[in-house]
Amino acid sequence: MASLSLFSRLIVRPARREPARSLLIVLAVALGVSVVLAIDLASSAAAGSFRSSMETLAGDNDLEVTAVGGVADQIVGQLAILPYSIRVSPRIEDHATVVASGETVPLIAIDVVAEANSHKDQQAQNQNVDSRKIETPKIDGFKHINDADAIWTTRQLAGKVGDKITLLINDQKRDYTVRGFVPESAQVNGNVVLMDIAAAQNATGKAGHVDRILLKVPEQPGFDVWQQKLRAVLPSGVELNAQGSQTAANRRMLSAFRWNLGILSYVALLVGAFLIYNTISVSVVRRRADIGTIRALGASRNTILAAFLAEAAVFGFVGAVLALPLGRLMATGAVRLLATTVDALYISSRPGSLSLSGESVVLALVVGIGVAVVSALAPAREASLVPPTEAMARGAREYTIRVERTRDAWIALALALAAALAARFPAIAGKPLFGYLSALLLIAASALAIPALVFWITSVASTTLRKFMGVEAMLASRSLAGSLRRTSVLVAALSTAIAMMTSVGIMVGSFRQTVTTWMDSQLPADLYLRPAGDPSADRHPTIALDLTDRIARLPGVESVSRFRAYEIQYEGLPVTLGSAETNLSRFYQSSGFLSRRPAKDVLKELLSPDAAIVSEPFANKHHAKAGDVLTLPLGEKLVKLRIVDIFYDYANERGYVILDRSTILRYLPDPSASNLAVYLAPEADLETVRNEIKASAAHSEVLIFSNRDIRHEAIRIFDQTFAITYALEAIAILVAVMGVAGALMSIVIDRRREFGLLRFLGAASSQIRKLILVEAGLIGILSNIAGVVLGVLLSLVLIFVINKQSFGWTIQFHWPVAILLGALTGVYVATVLAGIYPARIAQRLNPIEVVHEE
Amino acid sequence: MQSAATEDPISRLLSVERVTKEYKTDGEPVRALHDLSIEIGSGRFVALVGRSGCGKSTLLNLAGAMDFPTSGHVLLDGIATDQLSETQLTQLRREKVGFIFQSFQLLHTLSAIENIELPLLLAGHGNPRPQARERLVSVGLAELADRMPHQLSGGQMQRVAIARALVHSPRILLADEPTGNLDTATGNSILEELQRICIAHKTTILMATHSAESASFVDTVVHMRDGHIEEIVRS
Ligand SMILES: Nc1ncnc2c1ncn2[C@@H]1O[C@H](COP(=O)(O)OP(=O)(O)O)[C@@H](O)[C@H]1O
Ligand SMILES: [Mg+2]
Repeated sequence: MASLSLFSRLIVRPARREPARSLLIVLAVALGVSVVLAIDLASSAAAGSFRSSMETLAGDNDLEVTAVGGVADQIVGQLAILPYSIRVSPRIEDHATVVASGETVPLIAIDVVAEANSHKDQQAQNQNVDSRKIETPKIDGFKHINDADAIWTTRQLAGKVGDKITLLINDQKRDYTVRGFVPESAQVNGNVVLMDIAAAQNATGKAGHVDRILLKVPEQPGFDVWQQKLRAVLPSGVELNAQGSQTAANRRMLSAFRWNLGILSYVALLVGAFLIYNTISVSVVRRRADIGTIRALGASRNTILAAFLAEAAVFGFVGAVLALPLGRLMATGAVRLLATTVDALYISSRPGSLSLSGESVVLALVVGIGVAVVSALAPAREASLVPPTEAMARGAREYTIRVERTRDAWIALALALAAALAARFPAIAGKPLFGYLSALLLIAASALAIPALVFWITSVASTTLRKFMGVEAMLASRSLAGSLRRTSVLVAALSTAIAMMTSVGIMVGSFRQTVTTWMDSQLPADLYLRPAGDPSADRHPTIALDLTDRIARLPGVESVSRFRAYEIQYEGLPVTLGSAETNLSRFYQSSGFLSRRPAKDVLKELLSPDAAIVSEPFANKHHAKAGDVLTLPLGEKLVKLRIVDIFYDYANERGYVILDRSTILRYLPDPSASNLAVYLAPEADLETVRNEIKASAAHSEVLIFSNRDIRHEAIRIFDQTFAITYALEAIAILVAVMGVAGALMSIVIDRRREFGLLRFLGAASSQIRKLILVEAGLIGILSNIAGVVLGVLLSLVLIFVINKQSFGWTIQFHWPVAILLGALTGVYVATVLAGIYPARIAQRLNPIEVVHEE
Repeated sequence: MQSAATEDPISRLLSVERVTKEYKTDGEPVRALHDLSIEIGSGRFVALVGRSGCGKSTLLNLAGAMDFPTSGHVLLDGIATDQLSETQLTQLRREKVGFIFQSFQLLHTLSAIENIELPLLLAGHGNPRPQARERLVSVGLAELADRMPHQLSGGQMQRVAIARALVHSPRILLADEPTGNLDTATGNSILEELQRICIAHKTTILMATHSAESASFVDTVVHMRDGHIEEIVRS
């Protein structure tokens, strides 16, 4: 009871008296938490569901057989005739684009008849085994199984059985007839098209091959034994893994991306923490007399501490509850952005459904209450240290908290040195933990250095300011210096947000410039062709063979270089294996290789047998260097490839292994190309040749890009990829500016007597307004100075430590001057605007009432 | 009706004509001044004496054009304060009025000399330092120019406040219980200071006080009670 009435007197009543303050804390928590929640939800929805549609009708199996370039049909036969009761399910897994809607959907082919039979066998064998509940759902329309144009789809794709659908597969359009629907029980995420294996092999150009063979083995004599037995009958280049190993590999690949994004989502929360700390500090100072009285009445230190922490916890709780719907809403926007990024850089994905699970609710509550309580710790401790005598002290509101700015500045220096040290450590388990530690240390160092900076600048500047901006500026700078702690916390919050914006801005700007420069050396051809349909990092549809020859024969075409890509796995991570006709390429001056050797020399070496070049992200992820030997399963063999050199690559972070076309054809004889690079004769006209190619490609669905188009497209994807980081920064800035507005409001309340007095001394009310606006502006300038310095340092950590360790890219440092100037001006203006409402309140204060003396 | 603290209409600096002042609060309006009239001549040192709540501060605020009567008029140097625009009022205060307060009201972020400069700076004065220093010297605190307020005693603070109120040479100095926060000896020295100023600069001083002790320093004592004037005693 006693503690309740204490809580009411010390906490509830003041909180009700200052609704703006309470609202500010709750909003800061709500915004910070909702961003964290949104990114958590969106990134698991965008990444969590990828590939799962590939598992359509895969059922419950134990093992999977895969091979680069596909598993030969004979192997299916070999496995099927083994004297064991193994269920063998070969599959084609590819993609098709529904021409009418433009939607790209998984194309799955299974051996429907065999599937149904083996399933019956299975049931006969394991009649009493409950764990085998997942059954291949029954599919209608079996009698059409031998029609080449028969497909089965999810219900959303067609109106009724018998409808015609045109699909784009590789570079060909084909008409199909819907013969039935995938039953609901198959629980497909999104749409899917099913076919018979023979029809799919024909359509996808995979004659004689399947993509994956799923195996279900009996329980006895055990999984490992079966794996050994089966391994023995398979050729060495064919891989045998537990089912789902591809999905696992993809998940691993995405983890760094998701992890970094997750960390970025905590920035707004960090900024919010500064503001909560500031707001609670101010209210502790205001309530000192109350606290003293309560202490004099017998409350213990711990009671006071608990009361303030409980207040923070309540605010945190309310903020977190508000964050649930807000975060869910933000996630809907974020998930679309993320899905495109994942598609472009990593793997075909389709956003799964967003769901606010119990886990999300717990996350929101823990983060929300946690950040509020942690931010309140220091001010609450301060409150608990108020001596009972304070009740009697008059002029408690004049109490100013001493800031040990010199000592803090030294600690800041030490932390900065520690940050520099941490930046030198390598990644742990692929995660740049020390990089982030370094960034955190820098932020802490900056927060501690800010009081000295604020004091120094405001005291040096006040006379100068008076000369240029009038007495209001002097008063403003004096009062900022006068309440050094409050000002410092504000500046720390705003500058942290600015620093984030600056550092990410510099990082992205540098990255963009690096990519632009890189494209100059990587895209030497005049025209590029690829099959139509949505591009994705892991899909490599092919172009009809004869088209290449036809294009090569066109007048004005000097040569056509064929590029072929395959999806492979290396050390448990997805990698793109490519082959190029390097003898046909033209080269630019810049090397493009880590060794800095001329491209011509490196590519000459690549022509030697079993030579390879790898991309920088590949080299970093797999610790490969020039001269190393890679062992890759190609066709049915395990091939040892010597790494000739490492090339800079920014196309995606999954990594490339590139061979010469002559090398790869020895192991994977499929001559189709995934992309064509067309070099024009010197005198040829680009548009003319482009039109000629279009005419000769009339029967193929290919897209033709000029060199300029393709660069444009690359930059567009790049910008889209980073759109979400801009959104995150904007929210952090919003939280900070909101905090500045709130703080200015409390400054107006605390200093109303001063403003009234100034009126008595001859100040016009417009001068009071100017005073507040100048104060807001000074906070903006101080924050910009501190923010830019911190931001540049953070950008170095981002570019050279965090990005490098997470993604393996070397980014050249560039100053994106225009963007930075624009952003900083924007923040400055926002800060001044944040002062408008408090300034108006100050202007309207009645001087007589505020100077009123008892 | 009490009136006429002075004789000659030409030398009237402040005329309060049948002023009633009501404050609107949540409940009933509070009547602070009731049909009050008084005229104060130039160069006078007038004390308003009366119990707390009798309307002294209200009258000072009206006299300084910081507030306006509910009915009646206040004329400062012949100008009716309720006829002026916001800008003109500010101008009037900057030129003609100085205030001092019971609790000194120095800005604690400014040094003594900077506090004194403040009215000139607010009025747009470019180089107020010499004038401010002169005032500081005249209140006898030349060597404390760069002290911050918290490094001064109560008496010193009030002297700085007086110097600040006089720095722009106002016609009238309005002092609201200037000795209220000081011990008797210090209080008396402040009153002597005010008396000296009144004589030396011909500055009119209107001072509110709740004690009659100050009577010996002033030339007119106005006794107030419940918003009206009870008695005017001239010495
Ligand atoms: N701003 C105000 N709002 C409401 N009532 C006020 C206000 N200022 C003064 N009063 C009331 O007007 C009366 C006169 O006050 P005041 O002039 O301050 O008296 P004094 O200065 O003589 O103590 C008092 O009853 C007081 O409560
Ligand atoms: Mg009073």
